[in-house]
Amino acid sequence: MRLLLVEDEIDIQKFLRTSLEEAGFHVETAGDGKTAERLAVDNPFDILIIDLGLPDQDGIALILKLRQLGVRAPVLILSARRSVDDRVRGLEQGGDDYLTKPFALAELLARVRNLLKRNSAPGNEATRLRVLDLELDLLRREATRSGQLLQLTSQEFVLLEYLCRNAGRVVTRSMILDQVWGMRIQPDTNVVDVHIYRLRGKVDGQGQQSLIRTLRGVGYVLKDR
Amino acid sequence: MSSKTAKHVLHSAAWRISLWATLAFACGTMLVFIFLHRFVASDIQRRSDAWLSGEVEVLRDVAERTPKDSLYDRVVGEVAELAGKEVPNKDMSESSANDSVFFIQTSGDGSLKLWVGAGNGDANLKAIRASRIVPDHPTDLHIKGFEVPFRVASIRTGDGSYIYLGLSERDELRVLKSMRLRFFLLWLLLVLLGFGIVFYASRRMLSHVRQITEAASRIGHSDLSTRVPTNGKNDEVANLAMTLNRMLDRIESSMHQLHTITDSLAHDLRSPLTAIRGKLEISLSTAAHGDQTEPTVAAIDELDRLTEFLNASLDVAEAKADALRLNRSEIDLDQLLRVMIELYEPSMAEKGIQIGLRSTGPAIVTADAGLIHRMVSNLFENELKHLPTDCAVSLMLQAGEDSASLILEDDGPGFDAEVLPRLFERRVRGRASNGHGLGLAFVDAVVRAHGGTITAGNRKCGGARILITLPVASRPHAGSSATAMHGAH
Repeated sequence: MRLLLVEDEIDIQKFLRTSLEEAGFHVETAGDGKTAERLAVDNPFDILIIDLGLPDQDGIALILKLRQLGVRAPVLILSARRSVDDRVRGLEQGGDDYLTKPFALAELLARVRNLLKRNSAPGNEATRLRVLDLELDLLRREATRSGQLLQLTSQEFVLLEYLCRNAGRVVTRSMILDQVWGMRIQPDTNVVDVHIYRLRGKVDGQGQQSLIRTLRGVGYVLKDR
Repeated sequence: MSSKTAKHVLHSAAWRISLWATLAFACGTMLVFIFLHRFVASDIQRRSDAWLSGEVEVLRDVAERTPKDSLYDRVVGEVAELAGKEVPNKDMSESSANDSVFFIQTSGDGSLKLWVGAGNGDANLKAIRASRIVPDHPTDLHIKGFEVPFRVASIRTGDGSYIYLGLSERDELRVLKSMRLRFFLLWLLLVLLGFGIVFYASRRMLSHVRQITEAASRIGHSDLSTRVPTNGKNDEVANLAMTLNRMLDRIESSMHQLHTITDSLAHDLRSPLTAIRGKLEISLSTAAHGDQTEPTVAAIDELDRLTEFLNASLDVAEAKADALRLNRSEIDLDQLLRVMIELYEPSMAEKGIQIGLRSTGPAIVTADAGLIHRMVSNLFENELKHLPTDCAVSLMLQAGEDSASLILEDDGPGFDAEVLPRLFERRVRGRASNGHGLGLAFVDAVVRAHGGTITAGNRKCGGARILITLPVASRPHAGSSATAMHGAH
């Protein structure tokens, strides 16, 4: 997967490059809009990460220009601004996504993968999800572990579904809040953790291995191995 | 026109202005008419009195010069009849005889000497005897059998007899009556026309004021780019609009400056925060030993708290300056609260706190979903942090006609008395609080940015009580709510 990272802050560019390459992306970087434009037109990228505050031009102007030049790859917008610009919302509706700084690396990776998945040809949406001995019936909204039906509330089912869809990958608390509850808030109490504990109590029966792992300081991951 | 628009018109300033203006106009024209009426009436009377006095003198001359023989009655009678015919009489149709004029000559002792007129003159003579008629001064005389009075002039002849000439005021009254009728119709027409013109003119002018008001109220806290309409004229209202627009220009430019400052401050702080957080995360993933990760995890947590604090304090700063930017959409508060209670219920249950919602049903507001989420989250976090075990939080949501009210009550210790008067100020926190002191200031900021109100205090029976009202969406139930619980993509 070829990825173009447009970010003028060298520090951020460096650690993003490291993490993205670790995640298996082939990363090209640009420090300003001009370079980004040249690179994007000459090379077929699968995805672009563009910071809004570029030294030579506005990030949104760059995106619009690239779109005019025929660049179709999805864009993840990074913004250090506090409020989300209406124009960013417009792009979001057009299939792109945004992330405000500072962010968790896991969230950045998740959003990048989401954009790539969204952009690929939509296959037949599975009606069943299976992770190890955990199985989710998305139509009947039922989950079973080793054939045993789990007693989940509808909200717990949505949470488990989200974890299953991202099995093997880290999801952060703010990702869970955004995707499961539909809100971008940053509570400084452990609201999400308590939901996870409850879910874990129901999913991991006695004598079974724990499927939901906590990564301290980062988030959670549903084991797929 | 529906009754609501009619009510609206009746309460408008244009209606009141036209009512008062019409009243003044009606009174004025009525006074003018009364004056005219009096003038015309007295003039008509003066003319008929002059005629009566002249005729009665002619008749006296005739009576004095005519020899008192058998022809006397005929000569004087014919002269009197001729005089009577000079009077234009339009009501002749009722009876063939001319009853609008009569002539009486009485002898010195008061007995009837000569009568010319309709009927036998008994009633006339009786009326004359009953009233004291001074010679040379025409006076009104009511005669039995006649509706309208007669104007009677009298004169004394040389031989001591009296001559009376009476003229019915019927004609005069008829003229005045028709004049009154015509004037009344004309007056009514003028008043109605005047009312219409004044109402139309003031409504037009005030509609411009109304447009200005509507435009000005639309220019909310977040949208300062629109301007009130100017009508292109150079009158007072146009001046008002232009002054408002100039004021808005200035506010917009200072608001823009404030945004630039807070944005660049946020940007300058967030970039290093992003870099630090990223490096910490990388060091966390590459750390070999579990015991080395603990400080890194703590540092990331602190960083996230710092970020949230930065966001909240900049938001509060902007909101205090009424400059918070809103991305409004239609939100059902009822549904939003249910989702958020669902989110917070396990944490509260863990601490032994109960939470419940009583709601009157959907309450649609046009608000910034992100800010409302953070506002409710702040309120819940407050309860989570400060309520002791075994307490209960109750929420009441009421959707009114123009505002939705949310009451949050708990049965905990309530607010500290010393912070109570300054609850919504920044950095105000209770003694036992370990928060950053922005929670309620932020809640207040969000509520105010949405044009709502907030009050907080302690309940009489113990516990805290916060009342929030938010204006509801003007179009009821248009579109579905914007927030929805949804699964993963």
